[in-house]
Amino acid sequence: MSTVCTARASYKKSQGLLELTSTHLQWTQDRKELPAVHVAHTEVSSLFSSKEGAAQQWPQFHFHFPPPLALTERETFKAQLTTIISNNRAVRETGVLQPPQTSIQAATPSSNDTTHRAPLPTPSRPSTSRAESVSSNQGTPANDPINDFHLRKKVLVKTPELAVLHRELVRTGHITETEFWEGREHLLLAQAASDSQKKGRPGQLVDPRPQAVEGGEVKIVITPQLVHDIFDEYPVVAKAYDENVPGKLSEAEFWKRYFQSKLFHSHRASIRSTATQHVVKDDTIFDKYLEKPDDELEPRKPRDDDVDMFIDLEATREDHEETGNENDVTMQAGKQRGALPLIRKFNEHSERLLKSAISTDGTGKRRKVDTGDSHGYYSQIDLADLHNLESPAGILLEMQDRQRYFEARAGAAASVEQAPRPAVDFPAALLQMRRDLEGWQVHLAQLKTERKATEAALVSMTQNVATRLDVHKRKADIPEEIFRQMRTCQMAANEFLRQFWSVIYPPIGETVGGPSTLAQRTAKAARMAGYLTKTPEKVMAIVNAAETAGLDRGRVQTGMQPTLDAVNKALEFWETRKAAPGSGAPGARRP
Amino acid sequence: MNPSSHLSLIIDLSPSQWHLSAQSNNSYPLSFQTFLSHVLTFVNSHLAFKHENTLAVFGALPGRSMMLYSSLDATSANSNDPPADANSYRPFKLVNSVVANNIQKELDAIERLTEEPPVALVGALTKALCCKYQPFGPSTTRKRGNEATTSVDPRILILSVSPDLSASYIPVMNSIFSAQKLKVTIDVCKVFGEETVFLQQAAHLTGGSYIYLGRRDAFLQYLTMSFLPPPSMRHIIAVPQQDKVDFRAACFCHKNIVDIGFVCSVCLSIFCSPVPVCSTCRTKFPMKTLQHLNASRPSIPPANGVSNGAPRPPSARPNPGMSASLR
Repeated sequence: MSTVCTARASYKKSQGLLELTSTHLQWTQDRKELPAVHVAHTEVSSLFSSKEGAAQQWPQFHFHFPPPLALTERETFKAQLTTIISNNRAVRETGVLQPPQTSIQAATPSSNDTTHRAPLPTPSRPSTSRAESVSSNQGTPANDPINDFHLRKKVLVKTPELAVLHRELVRTGHITETEFWEGREHLLLAQAASDSQKKGRPGQLVDPRPQAVEGGEVKIVITPQLVHDIFDEYPVVAKAYDENVPGKLSEAEFWKRYFQSKLFHSHRASIRSTATQHVVKDDTIFDKYLEKPDDELEPRKPRDDDVDMFIDLEATREDHEETGNENDVTMQAGKQRGALPLIRKFNEHSERLLKSAISTDGTGKRRKVDTGDSHGYYSQIDLADLHNLESPAGILLEMQDRQRYFEARAGAAASVEQAPRPAVDFPAALLQMRRDLEGWQVHLAQLKTERKATEAALVSMTQNVATRLDVHKRKADIPEEIFRQMRTCQMAANEFLRQFWSVIYPPIGETVGGPSTLAQRTAKAARMAGYLTKTPEKVMAIVNAAETAGLDRGRVQTGMQPTLDAVNKALEFWETRKAAPGSGAPGARRP
Repeated sequence: MNPSSHLSLIIDLSPSQWHLSAQSNNSYPLSFQTFLSHVLTFVNSHLAFKHENTLAVFGALPGRSMMLYSSLDATSANSNDPPADANSYRPFKLVNSVVANNIQKELDAIERLTEEPPVALVGALTKALCCKYQPFGPSTTRKRGNEATTSVDPRILILSVSPDLSASYIPVMNSIFSAQKLKVTIDVCKVFGEETVFLQQAAHLTGGSYIYLGRRDAFLQYLTMSFLPPPSMRHIIAVPQQDKVDFRAACFCHKNIVDIGFVCSVCLSIFCSPVPVCSTCRTKFPMKTLQHLNASRPSIPPANGVSNGAPRPPSARPNPGMSASLR
C-alpha cells in the first residue's frame, strides 16, 4: 500500500493526516494509530468540492495549515480522487478496471501550480465527472445503488421480516452493515430500478377537490403540476390566464376567482355541480369564457378522422348518395341529456391520454409501415377460417449431442450399477414361474387369506389414514410469542450460516467491500462459528419457555431440529478445518 | 353420476425377482401363483364395481413390454375363449383366462434367454399412457347429444417387484409429466424389493398413493383398500399414502442416483460433477466458476452460484429421513 500523496487535514473538527494510497484513502487522527476513515478506491464514487474559498470537501475534510499549500494539496487530492471516480464509473460500465497508477505518477504532490492536471491521461473524463459531482447537492454516493443508504432503508421498510433480522443482528453489532447486504444486492438493485421508473400521465380527469377547513373556508393547494394539468385539460383556462395575468389580475387572485367562478364549476367532473348556479356568484371576467354545455346531437369537438379503412363507412359514401342511409344521429353516449357533456369530456380526456401514450414512441404514427403490406391490410383479411384444416406440424425434438446421451445410457446399462443382487439362476427362475402359472385356475378357486394377516394390514392402513386426518384437523396451537421466538432464532441462525458459508468458499465474482485476503476470511469465519455455537443454547431456552407455557416440548424441539442440524454441520466442518491447518485451502479433499 | 373409471394395470414379471420373493427366508413369502390369484380377484372386483369400468393389463418382462388384456377389444367372440362354464361369471372368466394365457405365451417367448435383461417397466408405463387416448380417438366423439355423458377417470396401477433402474430416470420423469397433463393418477404397490425412488416420485407427483407391502400374505387386503377406489372418490374414501417421498434424481451424464448435484440454470439438467458445457442445451459455463466449484466440492455442498448459465447446486433436497407428518 504505497502512499501516493498526503496532506494534513481536519475531519470532524479534529486534526490528522489524510493519505491517499494506491488502494485506499484514509485519514488518521493525530496521535492515533488506526485510521478512523478508511475508504477503498472502489467505494469512492462522487466528489463534492465547493469553491476554492470555502475549502469543504467530502467527507468534510478541511485542509489546514499553511493555507497556500493547503489549496494545492486539495487540488492534488481532488485530481486523484476524480480519476478514481471516473475509473470506478468505467468499471461499472465496461467492467475493466484500470489502475490509476499512471496518472498518479504524473502528478507530483510537490508542485505548486494547478496546471499539473494537464498531463493526466484521461482528458475528457475528469471534467465531466467533476461537473456532475458539483451539481449533485449531497455527498451521498447516488451512483452506487449498493451502498446507498436510502435504498437500503426502502428495502427494509418494504420487507418487514428483513427489517426484523436487520434490527436483531446489525443493531446489536453481530454483523456489520456491509456484511448484511453482501448477498442481498439483488434486492437493492431491484429497488433502484423500480425507483427510476417514470410514471406516466394520470388517468383521472383533473378535478381538484376543495378541502373544507375549519371556519367554513375551502382550501385548494395549487401546485405547478396542478396548474400544468389544468391548462392541458381545459385550454379555456389557459386562454383566460394568458389574457388576464399579469395585466388585470395577479396570479393568486386569478386562481382565487377561478375556483369561485361558474367556469370552474362547469369543469367539475360530476353532474351535480352544474346545478349549483344559485350558489356561485357571477364573475365578470370568467363568465366570458363560459361555453354552452356540450349536449347537442353531435359532440362539439368532432372525432378524429383516423378510421381504419376496413370499417370506415364513409369510404363508399359517394356510391350511396341517393339510396343510402342517413347518418345515425341517435348514437349518443348515455341516455340522459344532462349526462352528455360529462361523458363527452371523459371521452376527450381518454383520447388525449391515449394519444400522448402512443406518441411518446417518437413517431406520431400508430402503425409501422412495412414494405409491401402497408397498414397490414392483407394480414387483416387473411382469416383462419379460409384455410384448409391441417393438423399442426409438430416441433421436431432436436437433441444436442445425441451421441453422448445414448452412449451414456449404453454404458450404464452394460455395467450393473445397482446394488449387487443376489445371484439368481435365471433359467431356473423362469421355469418356476411357468410352472406356477400352469395351475392358475385351481389356485384361484382355492384363494383364501388368513384373517390375522388381513386384520394387521387393515389396522396399519387405517392408522396411516387416521394420522393424516389428525394432522389436518389439528391447528397450529403454538402461541404467538413462542412462535415468534422460534422464528427469530431461526432467521438469525440462517443469517450466520449464510455469512459463514459465503466466507468459507472461494468467491465467485468480484465482491465489492467484502473480506478479500485469506486471513480476513478466516477471521470472519471464526467469528461466525462463535455465534453459531451459541445457537443450541438459544434453542434450549425456547424449548424451556415453551414448556413453562404449557406446550409439549417435543413439538418445539422437532420444529427447531432442522436449524440445529444445519448449525451442527457447519460447526463440524469448522472443527475439522481447524484441526487440519495444512488443509485450510479449499482444494483439499476430506476422507 | 359417478364417472366410469379406467384402470391400467402394469405387472412386473421379472422371473428372478419373483423367485426371490417366493423364497421362504423372507418375512412373508409371496409366490407368483398366489400373487396372480390375488391380482385376478382384484381385477374382477374392479370390473364388478361398475358396469362401465374398463380395464387394460400390461406386462413388463425382461427386455420387452406388451399389452396382455384390454377390455376394449375383448368384445368379439374368439375361438381361443374358454368354454362356457355354469359355475363362473363369464366376463370374469374371460379376463382371467386371457391374462393368464398371454402371460404364459410371453414367458414361453423368452425361454431361450440365458441372462436377464432389465425389466421394461418404463415401456409398459408409456404404453399404458398411450392407451389412455383410445377412448378419445379422433373417430369417436366423447360426448354425443342423447347419450349419457360418461367421462372417464383414468388411473394406472404399477405392481413392482424389481429395484430402480437408474437409466430409466429421464423416461420415467417424462412419463410422469405426461401423466400430469393427462390427469392420470399413478398408484404404486411395492410388492417386494427395496424402495424405488422414481416410483415414489411418480405416485407423489400425480396424486396417487404409494404402498410398500408390510404383510405380503394380505396382499388382496391392500389392493382392495388402497387401490380399488377410483380417484374421483378418494376425497370421500381416504386411501393410505406414504408421506416420506425420496426426491433424489439421477444425473444425466452417468445415470447414477445422486443426493447432491449441479444443475444447469438454463435447462435444469442435473450433473454429478461440474461440466464445462451442458450436454443438453450446449450452454457454456465460465471456467472460473467451474474451478471454484470444483475446488470447493469435497464432501460438502457448495453454497454459491452465479446466474447466466453457470451450474449451481440445487436447493436442499430432502433426504429419506425427513418425513412430512407429525407423529
